[in-house]
Amino acid sequence: MKLVLEAVRLELGSWSLSAEGSFLSGVHLVSGDVGSGKSTLAMALAGMTHPAAGKITRDGIGSLMLSFQFPEYHVTGFTVDEECRSWSLDPEPVLRKSRLNGRGGISSFALSRGELKRLHLACLLPGSYDLLILDEPFSSLDAGEKERFCGEISSRNHGITIIFTHEQAIFPKTDFLWEISSGILRFRGKVPHSLPCWEHAPQMIKNLIASGRCPQNITKEDILEAACRT
Amino acid sequence: MQDVRLRIASAAILSAAAFSGPWGAAGAFVWWIVFCSTRVTGSTLRRIALPFALVSVFGAVIWVTGGQGLTYIARMGVILLVASWAYDEYRPGEFLDLSVWLLGDRIGFDLGLVAEMGMQSLELLIADFSRIRMALTLKGKTGVRTLVPAGFILIHVTLGRAGETGSTLAVRGYQGGGTLKPGFRAGRFDVPGFVAAFLVGIFAFAPVSEFFILYR
Repeated sequence: MKLVLEAVRLELGSWSLSAEGSFLSGVHLVSGDVGSGKSTLAMALAGMTHPAAGKITRDGIGSLMLSFQFPEYHVTGFTVDEECRSWSLDPEPVLRKSRLNGRGGISSFALSRGELKRLHLACLLPGSYDLLILDEPFSSLDAGEKERFCGEISSRNHGITIIFTHEQAIFPKTDFLWEISSGILRFRGKVPHSLPCWEHAPQMIKNLIASGRCPQNITKEDILEAACRT
Repeated sequence: MQDVRLRIASAAILSAAAFSGPWGAAGAFVWWIVFCSTRVTGSTLRRIALPFALVSVFGAVIWVTGGQGLTYIARMGVILLVASWAYDEYRPGEFLDLSVWLLGDRIGFDLGLVAEMGMQSLELLIADFSRIRMALTLKGKTGVRTLVPAGFILIHVTLGRAGETGSTLAVRGYQGGGTLKPGFRAGRFDVPGFVAAFLVGIFAFAPVSEFFILYR
């Protein structure tokens, strides 16, 4: 199972992004500044838009899902219960997981954006998609929710998961690092070997590498272990 | 046409001329071919495709019931072409300039600000709708079934955004009116284009046929 990009070029007016490489099974983290083209690339990888040039091949990928930054875009249920059922899920465990117990009967849009994002991710993550693309999944989540979400992503052992983010603090266990810089998608390599060349790395990770204590991965636990290493 | 004053005036004259009857529509269409057709792109045609389809449905109903449905389709089609041209030529900030120039710093500024926010919302609505369609397609919801949830989401998102914009303006101390020195760009075809649109208006509304009767 792999997602292959061959000389892909995405264009929006005078802006463009070039991308090449293969996404294999595992968790991929794609970081880049705001406006660098993460969302545009995410839509192209999901087959929702077509590149101006090049080819995107989904080899062995039967099911895919793209999660947008704004959870409102995905809502089809007028109530929270209906929204859970629209994902073919039993509302009770989803509400418990997203800490919305007893609120199944209220309008989906009566939830705050953070609550709606929690509900959306709780509906999305049980799915066994071959390709799961998450565009800014950490936005609108508090630190505790980010950690819980990272735990769920880290435990995903099926298919390709691609996370587009400019998050700088909390990450899931990641297999591969990519970056978008100067209009080009660059593959940095497998974690942890790719960490020294990660331009968008959080300052904490840069400091640890500079002091010769490269973390094994980029989760909070791995960073803590590296920081406490003597 | 660079100058927003001449562009809006031309669009208003041509729309009224096209709506007035088949001769006015023909004149406005000729004007569109001369001044705009070279800049037509695929996105222009895609943009007017849906409203034109709706107009065609109404025109067909009028035609079937014995009315002048075909001329209705032609007249509305020309209006859509003119509207699409005016939209393509829009540059952010122009309506604020126009409104302040026309009505002054108080009510002109307020109306211009509303117009600019409306144009901004329109562009965001188009982007939102595109992403909502993608999200619903991925969720397995396609066709007519998506219209109700998509409309519901759009209304919710737009109202939310309007509320946030209103709060931002209030926090920044906006109460009404503002100071602005309007500026306008000028293009080579601005005056010829406006004069031609004006002549189309005269052709559509002046009693030209009576002139020919008198002449005979």
